[in-house]
Amino acid sequence: MITKTAWKNVWRNRTRSLVVIAAVTIGIFAGVFAVGVMNGAIDQRIDSAIDNEIAHMQIMAKGFSLNNEPGSYLNDVRSLKDSISAIEEVQAVCDRLFVVGMANTARKSAGVNIIGIDPAGEKEVFNLHNELVQGMGNYFGGEKGSYGVYMGKELAKELNVIRYEMNDDIIDELRSSGLPDEILSEFGSFSGNRFSNEKDFKKKMRSVLTEEQEAEYGRSIIEAVSAFSERARVVFTFVDMNNTQTGSVFRAGGVYDIPNSMFENKYVFTRKAALRNLAGFPENAAHKVIIRLHDIDDTRKVSKKLRADYPGLEVLSWRDIQPDLALTSEMAEAIYGLFMVLILAALAFGIVNTMLMVVLERTKEIGMLTAIGMNKKKVFRMIMTESVFLSLTGGVAGMVISWIVIRLTSEKGINFRSMEEGFEALGYSAHIYPDIGADFFLIVTGLIIITGILSSVYPAIKALKLDPADALRTE
Amino acid sequence: MAWRNLWRNRRRTIITASSVFFAVFFALAMRSLQLGTYDYMYKNIIESYSGYIQIQDEDFWENRIVNNVFEAKDDLKQKVLEDKNVKDIIPRFESFALASSGPRSKGVMVMGIDPEKEKLLSDVEDKLVEYRLTGEAVKALKSEDIPEYLSENLDIFTGNSYSGKGSLQLDLGIKENDEEAVMPLFEKYASVENRYFSMGEESSLAGDRLSRYLGLEREDTVILIGQAYHGHSAAGKYAITGIVSIPNPDLDNKIVYLPLDVCQNLYYATGKLTAMVLHVRDNDDKAIEETISRLDSRLDAPYRVLGWKEMNSTLVQQLEADNKSGLIMIGILYLVIAFGVFGTVLMMTAERRREFGVLVAIGMQKSRLTGVMVYEMLYIGLLGIVAGVAVSVPVIFYGHNHPIRFSGNLAKIFEDYGFEPVMVFQLIDNYFISQIMVVVLIVLLSIIYPVVKIAKMDEVDALRA
Repeated sequence: MITKTAWKNVWRNRTRSLVVIAAVTIGIFAGVFAVGVMNGAIDQRIDSAIDNEIAHMQIMAKGFSLNNEPGSYLNDVRSLKDSISAIEEVQAVCDRLFVVGMANTARKSAGVNIIGIDPAGEKEVFNLHNELVQGMGNYFGGEKGSYGVYMGKELAKELNVIRYEMNDDIIDELRSSGLPDEILSEFGSFSGNRFSNEKDFKKKMRSVLTEEQEAEYGRSIIEAVSAFSERARVVFTFVDMNNTQTGSVFRAGGVYDIPNSMFENKYVFTRKAALRNLAGFPENAAHKVIIRLHDIDDTRKVSKKLRADYPGLEVLSWRDIQPDLALTSEMAEAIYGLFMVLILAALAFGIVNTMLMVVLERTKEIGMLTAIGMNKKKVFRMIMTESVFLSLTGGVAGMVISWIVIRLTSEKGINFRSMEEGFEALGYSAHIYPDIGADFFLIVTGLIIITGILSSVYPAIKALKLDPADALRTE
Repeated sequence: MAWRNLWRNRRRTIITASSVFFAVFFALAMRSLQLGTYDYMYKNIIESYSGYIQIQDEDFWENRIVNNVFEAKDDLKQKVLEDKNVKDIIPRFESFALASSGPRSKGVMVMGIDPEKEKLLSDVEDKLVEYRLTGEAVKALKSEDIPEYLSENLDIFTGNSYSGKGSLQLDLGIKENDEEAVMPLFEKYASVENRYFSMGEESSLAGDRLSRYLGLEREDTVILIGQAYHGHSAAGKYAITGIVSIPNPDLDNKIVYLPLDVCQNLYYATGKLTAMVLHVRDNDDKAIEETISRLDSRLDAPYRVLGWKEMNSTLVQQLEADNKSGLIMIGILYLVIAFGVFGTVLMMTAERRREFGVLVAIGMQKSRLTGVMVYEMLYIGLLGIVAGVAVSVPVIFYGHNHPIRFSGNLAKIFEDYGFEPVMVFQLIDNYFISQIMVVVLIVLLSIIYPVVKIAKMDEVDALRA
């Protein structure tokens, strides 16, 4: 009965209630959607880090993670891999050589980590082979013994392995992708020109395009003209096991692109055999054995087991390797909750005000109810229920809208292109697919109900203080 | 009259004003913390590396190779120094090399500096490490008779290095009356002897984190190998005279300083520079922009003038993204508050319909009635603003003088991303004004409803209500 009365009471002053409900709707929608965007970004970051960068677990010799000394490698890796593969939770295992050195091309050089891999085994653990940029080489496609290099897009740009060239083929390609003829005819004037870096090309492009044209087409133009110099010379130099400087000519093989420019700049991949021959590592040696599990939630369990089995080795889980990721994902939930609490606290002021108004304008009525024998508890509950209805109606509406909007935007994602450089420097993609779990909606629902209850306390106390006789006399 | 009206329903006024207060307080504290931290980070990177303005060869920024250098000619210097905002020129020669020490090696940034001139900007000498809390040092310190809190703090900060007494005492929270007793112990166990270098000396300074990675100590030798000018290959051996602790973790991880002339010799580029960093008189945004455009028009083709925003574009973008997310959050908060204010207006209008009717019937002009309403709402808004400012200012002042410094895992997150784990509050600035503007705007928007209502009001109807 009380519930029914409370619900009817909400609609006695329709405009006023609707204003409060609208406020809650908009506040909850904005809050949940913002959390969805943040959560999507963080999930994407963690997935990408695990799939492309670190996998679930890594095993190495004690002390290797600190100083990367080439001499501290693991022996007899094959049997180590075999016994790890036998663990039920493990999906796949691969091993890598790891040396710190320099990559030099004809004109430039950069400090890099050179990773020696076995491409077939690597595909089982990492997803990096799928991040190959279209039209820019391949993932270790050459013959087995070749010195091919798979490198990040940022590094390829830095080392001038990616060049910029305008020619008639590209103009045709751009035409078919729908670029206006007036732009294409401008490009015709410098067809055949080559540019050694993006800046030079951009300069030229800007001289013929208006700002609006650049904003609209600039990116696809740059993508079309950038060309990968396959088989370009890349000289690696590094210090080998015996502390002597060594190096050799490798050939650019393919380019990968992931949303982490730090990683792209630093990690280059080559065949393990090539690196082994150069640096003189024994046949069965590796610096890291890397593990992928069926389920990320088993990480703790498996790392505990491995630590017990191999006390002489260093066993690192993804949490140890990237503590920032682990902490971000753990802290994220608390931050989302805090954010919602802040919004609801702001909403509470409006609800308190409205409920206070409700109580004051119904002084006579409440007095009457008490006079005819309704007890104080019930009055209290009636007011509280009305307040919860106010907040919950808006809250549910807000959650439904935000759920729909998150579903809609998560299909194509939201693009923050103008800030791509900054996002990718931190390892986050600038193209975000909003996403939020069902449990978050439960938490928010709980928070909304609590807000409704808390904001009714003061007005309800006010109502109970009324003396029925006095209240009846008021106009 | 408006003021007195407010107190007819005291509770409602207070609640509405406190909702405004709540928003203003949060917005101010958050803006202060965000803007202050951005400023701090910018200042950090500017003063430890890029400077406000640099002059380089036009291709160097995109293509950082030793061939893109320029001759430091006197007439060029003269031209630059003639600018009214330029106090001095700090010459630099910067390149990459593979640094190795024993079995360990790493790609590093080699920076040739003029030991005296550099003091004007990044002041490397001031960053020489004085105390280092190595594992052994902490152990030795704990074996002495030291206060409980100190030994706890020592555990947290094991591995850190300090360029001065002040920062050491701050991190460890050494109390004033303990100072005399404990500082000699630090001198005994944790102090490091370091020396700056001078021109012509075949020696080097290494970043603290880099030195730990390579296992370098003072007096050790570091070998640098890289590509030199015009295809030569650069190779040299340098004794470490000192370890420097650079606040920017990314730089601290990869920097090796050499005296300018020694560095030029290493790269076969005597007399050449990769950059002239300008020591400026006035460093606010506008003055820097103007200086850049003046220099741009004076210097011809082979030279390029770069401002700090261009040189640190990644950081600028990141902080811009963070700034926008903060603004969105405050926007949501204000939106919710706006509805609250509107709700109050609505109630006021509804409950006073009859009163308005009476007032108009006895001859009050509708425009004056509207004025009263506007004033009432503005008072509420102002009340909230004044309270919000009054509470947030002391908090901001306190925070400004006591920056928040993270430790443990949280600090590591910041450092992994190349930021110093510090958050600073910014003192009162333009952002105060924008908060006030927003609140006034909210009030004005919500007032539209009663104004229209009053204008449309039929006195007879209203009287009957």
